[in-house]
Amino acid sequence: MAEKDLLVALAGQPNVGKSTVFNILTGLSQHVGNWPGKTVEKKEGLYVSDGTKIKIVDLPGSYSLTAYSEEEKIARDFIINERPDAIVLIANASAVERSLYLLSEFLLLKVPVILALNMMDVAEQQGIRIDVGRLEKYLGVPVIPMVASKNKGIKVLISAIFALSGGEREYTPSIADVSEDHKEIFMELADILEPYIDPPYLTRWTITKIMEGDTDITEKMSRLVPADSWSRVQGLLLQHEDSLLAVVRGRYDWIEGAVRSAISEFKRGQILFTDRLDHILTRPALGIPILLGVLGLVFLITFGLGLPLQGFLESIMNSLATHVEPFLGQSFWLRGIIVDGVIGGAGTVLTFLPVLVFFFTAMAFLEDVGYMARAAFVMDRFMHVIGLHGKSFLPFCLGFGCNVPAVMGARILESGRTRLLTIFLTPFVPCTAKLAAVTLVAAAVFGNKALLISWALVAGNILLLGFSGMIASRFIFKRKHTPFIMELPFYHKPNLKTIGVVVWKRITAFIKKAGTIIVLFSVLLWLFSHIPGGDIESSILGVTGRAIEPIGGPIGLDWKMIVALLAGVAAKENSVAALGVLYGVGEEGVRGILPGVMSHASALSFLVILMLFIPCVATLVVMKQEMGGWRWFLSSFVFMIILSYLSGMVVYQLAQLPQLFLRNHK
Amino acid sequence: MVRMGIDIISLISLHEGEEGIIHSVTGGVGLIGRLASMGLTSGMRVKVVRNIGGPLIVTTNGTRIAIGRGQSQKIAVRRLTAAKEEAALR
Repeated sequence: MAEKDLLVALAGQPNVGKSTVFNILTGLSQHVGNWPGKTVEKKEGLYVSDGTKIKIVDLPGSYSLTAYSEEEKIARDFIINERPDAIVLIANASAVERSLYLLSEFLLLKVPVILALNMMDVAEQQGIRIDVGRLEKYLGVPVIPMVASKNKGIKVLISAIFALSGGEREYTPSIADVSEDHKEIFMELADILEPYIDPPYLTRWTITKIMEGDTDITEKMSRLVPADSWSRVQGLLLQHEDSLLAVVRGRYDWIEGAVRSAISEFKRGQILFTDRLDHILTRPALGIPILLGVLGLVFLITFGLGLPLQGFLESIMNSLATHVEPFLGQSFWLRGIIVDGVIGGAGTVLTFLPVLVFFFTAMAFLEDVGYMARAAFVMDRFMHVIGLHGKSFLPFCLGFGCNVPAVMGARILESGRTRLLTIFLTPFVPCTAKLAAVTLVAAAVFGNKALLISWALVAGNILLLGFSGMIASRFIFKRKHTPFIMELPFYHKPNLKTIGVVVWKRITAFIKKAGTIIVLFSVLLWLFSHIPGGDIESSILGVTGRAIEPIGGPIGLDWKMIVALLAGVAAKENSVAALGVLYGVGEEGVRGILPGVMSHASALSFLVILMLFIPCVATLVVMKQEMGGWRWFLSSFVFMIILSYLSGMVVYQLAQLPQLFLRNHK
Repeated sequence: MVRMGIDIISLISLHEGEEGIIHSVTGGVGLIGRLASMGLTSGMRVKVVRNIGGPLIVTTNGTRIAIGRGQSQKIAVRRLTAAKEEAALR
């Protein structure tokens, strides 16, 4: 029998192992994009079985299906509008009650649901017994026990999908009612509203949402229902202000029934591993030093292993350049574009890959085992100072690797304001490229004091992040209280596949930018620094640099340094290369020539501005995309320019004081 | 703000290790719905795991949840003292 292709939605709350299941099912066929018009990731993939294609759409993780967050709205709109053949709801077997809440919401949408109980092994270890047969009977939906991390239960799940969508399996779900005392108002509301509810919306679901006070549906219905009927609806809702609670209570009664019939626990008092670890890790006095230690270790590994590799790749790039050169013939322009633009620009950026792979692997590991949620927890009090809460700590951490995935990482934040502010502040996290450029220049100019100077710059940068946060949260993003509610998942063994997928995603985002935007900008930059005469002094960039040289006075920069900073916008490492070109020494000679041309005060000012200036173009592009408009993006842009200029000026003027002092007394 | 009776207190007043039954949650529809979906709604049993400045950690329904102090104040609970007294008697 030739069967039609199936569409299956994968749903679940956060921390239930949903992405593990998705990765097993779809493997390499997965495609990651965005939900139309949203900055929420959309993942789809194919599973092929006996010639039937199952298209699997991974719905954003959510706790419920209210319009509370964008993710939840996307999930429910997808079910309502696309009507998939089945929904697979992944639940954590050691906390089934919680997933049942989401199940009760899905069941109202009348699309067949399969409940997949994941992490059965963990539940067993915790002394939780689930009678799958009885749970199935109570809920009226297929229940599949699974251990996705060990690939157990996937086959059974697939056959359940076929059985359900093919109608071979009876499907009569039990649906949670509103609590007894509110059934009457439910019926009254249904009487008034029913004539106005059209497909794809379902009566029972719509009424429930109205009782829940769902803004989205309420607004939709208010436009459809005649004014007099609508005022009756509002009157009813006003009389029963606790309608939302009635819906919630109804669901929990239903959940309790399920738990009573099928779940038994034996060792409730057992102190779990998580309890013991959290006892230490979430106590500020211990948790914060441990967090600093863990991050220190991450950086040690990243740079200890990554930097030698980076140097190795750099020498490969250089020899690649010398090998390519002979084939490019005599054309000065072609040679410049390929060797200095493409290889020199984007190639150098790519040499940072090992550093990023180490860094993102370490971060993904910490996320996967459950540690990052604790880090967010202990950091919460500090983040409040800058108008954010703990959850923003994760994107900031990623920023130390590369700002691009950090800006995208801000998606985990529910509130739009928090997300914007986090993105706004991300460029103040010094990325590996900035750190590399800074250490190089510092080493050249300050010799044995370089390490101290670099540390001071990083510390100052982080302080300025805090300061900018305080300013921005008060004046630019008006301070509004955003609730902090975050699940702390149980600690568990790292899953290599999940970590691999996360690292792969972040790295490819970086490579794509390096391969497109950065190549383009490196080539443009080379052209601007050579047109028309072929030398940098009389080039467009050189002329522009000299034209704006007066603004460099108060910050102690000559036009070459200004141009180098501008060159850093293509990619931060370019600043060093540009200095080499401008002073006519090549990158290797920078070390020798810089002390002669840069005073300590100028060098400090240059480094401070390098740290605080607008980020590289790759970051700018994702910032614009994720901020969803010009307004915030431009205010961020202007803010960075002003702040970097002022900071450079302060540092320059201060750094000159002791010199003047010394000179006067000599 | 939550109206407190004699034995109804705000979640934030529970000490570490103490348990309570949620009496009510006040606030906007968004907050109430959100907390409910995570198991923080009237009738549910919660245990405070961490409460020393900063956000609280509570467990409910087999889940650990970190929750800001502001939100904690909007959750009214009835303290469960039975367990403590039992322990004291032993």
